[in-house]
Amino acid sequence: MDFFELTTDPIDITTVARRVVPPECGATVTLDGYVRQFTKGRETLYLEYEAYERMALKEMQKLIEAAKAEYEIANVGIVHRTGKLEIGETSVVISVAAPHRKAAFNACEWLIKELKRTVPIWKKEVYADGEEWIEGDAQPT
Amino acid sequence: MRIQVLFFGATADIAGKRRIAVEMATKTTAKDVFEKLITEHPQLASHKLHTSLNQQYATGDEILSDGDELAIFTAVSGG
Repeated sequence: MDFFELTTDPIDITTVARRVVPPECGATVTLDGYVRQFTKGRETLYLEYEAYERMALKEMQKLIEAAKAEYEIANVGIVHRTGKLEIGETSVVISVAAPHRKAAFNACEWLIKELKRTVPIWKKEVYADGEEWIEGDAQPT
Repeated sequence: MRIQVLFFGATADIAGKRRIAVEMATKTTAKDVFEKLITEHPQLASHKLHTSLNQQYATGDEILSDGDELAIFTAVSGG
């Protein structure tokens, strides 16, 4: 079963990873994206994520459909957290189950790259001496 | 006709709100709405902006209809 969700609650990685497992698969690749404390030497205190929820869910569904058309994979689960996140807390989990691991690794890498480019979610970095909304460098088409 | 405009992140901070309704003439495009909003909030012009129409990425050239939902935002930065 595929799934794509937004939540303001902490994400349990194992639960996401096990939800995608079907009997015909042999490997699940799971990305655990979490809040980095130091970016280019500057210290982050915490992050705030905001989503355009209705559009974000549509874009996540499109990504899953495109990944399944391109790679030999069975199921995909994506959960992205919004709201305030502390250092080290998980912001996004992507799990890809496949009969064989190589396709799962490739699809997971493609999915996070595309999610960062197209899914309408924004992060605000809050530093000791200020804050800023981060603008992505990739262009949606 | 009435267009719903949504702002997120940096654009919400500049607009000072997350949602507004604007009255526009028929055959208006998203770019026309942009121009009106940039007049009201000049700081918007200092960002590279993207737009969506009814939750789909849009170019800005689409002709709008009454009740459409337009969103204006900076390049996404989730993950």
